[in-house]
Amino acid sequence: MHEYAITESILEIVQAEAARAGGGSVDEITLVVGELTTFVDSSIEFYFTEMSRGTAAEGARLRFQKLEAKAHCSGCGADFRPHNAFFTCPQCRSAVFELRQGQELFIESIEVSEPEGQDTRGD
Amino acid sequence: MKIEVKKNIMATNASVAIKNRELLLEHGICMVNLMASPGAGKTSTIVKAIEGTRGLLNLAVIEGDIASEIDSLTIESMDIPAIQINTGGSCHLTAAMIASALDHLDLDALDLIIIENVGNLVCPAEFDLGETARMMIASVAEGHDKPYKYPLIFREVDAILINKIDLLPHCDFDLAQFRQVVQSLNPSASLIELSCKDGYGSDEMCDWLRETASRNRADLRS
Ligand SMILES: [Zn+2]
Repeated sequence: MHEYAITESILEIVQAEAARAGGGSVDEITLVVGELTTFVDSSIEFYFTEMSRGTAAEGARLRFQKLEAKAHCSGCGADFRPHNAFFTCPQCRSAVFELRQGQELFIESIEVSEPEGQDTRGD
Repeated sequence: MKIEVKKNIMATNASVAIKNRELLLEHGICMVNLMASPGAGKTSTIVKAIEGTRGLLNLAVIEGDIASEIDSLTIESMDIPAIQINTGGSCHLTAAMIASALDHLDLDALDLIIIENVGNLVCPAEFDLGETARMMIASVAEGHDKPYKYPLIFREVDAILINKIDLLPHCDFDLAQFRQVVQSLNPSASLIELSCKDGYGSDEMCDWLRETASRNRADLRS
């Protein structure tokens, strides 16, 4: 459900970036999502379709790049991927670790087409 | 044309959260973000906290849970300032909602603010509100496998209340196993057994709130 607010922010950032690039329409948005976040792709897509209507990002394709979780064990120093229910170091079974990756959510890049009219003006 | 954006989507919320925290620290106020599943007993816990800290701490409540059985009026009837946030059906509070709630409180007159977050364990954990401490309630009625389902939130809180402890004889809740799993996930968290029904553990919870609030003041002085 909190994808509503997330999608709102995505749209704001994307519109600002597209406008800065000359106001073309956005064809594709690449999002990087850490695997420990609880954001649901299909939910973001759903809200995006609704909220992007009438904006430069209408119809843009969303690409989701998953980022694996990475942890560094404070006990034995092992690097491992915490996942499922067992957030423990596979080497020493300690659950005290520093989470180094897996909780991010950012816009990696957008693909913007040339602003309409600009390249046809000379015709 | 490809544009590298590399922008954190949560950055806006995060920057407002930082401002909230700075404002609180300036005033020496402790703000506790209270999170729980629906029915875990957030409101009755807040009522116990009000009763147990009366005369010791100046408290205010930010009420974020629309579905809460007891609304801000009930808390106001206990002579405690309460701000009701209208989340517009959203499943979590944002730092901006808290910022506007703080605008309506007399910060110079407060030691402690408790935020009753909306009732779920998934969404609130991802939104920093600018709180200075995080508390969650797990109730005996919900089962002892909660930490397996939501390991992240258990890692990120400062205190865990095990509420409805009076139901222990009637549930197959394995308290020893729960304690063990929680302690391995988060060794520094305080674990407090609580029964809002008969008041068991209420003193321990209020002591924790007082200690946390006074630690905040100490941070301010240093
Ligand atoms: Zn280890």
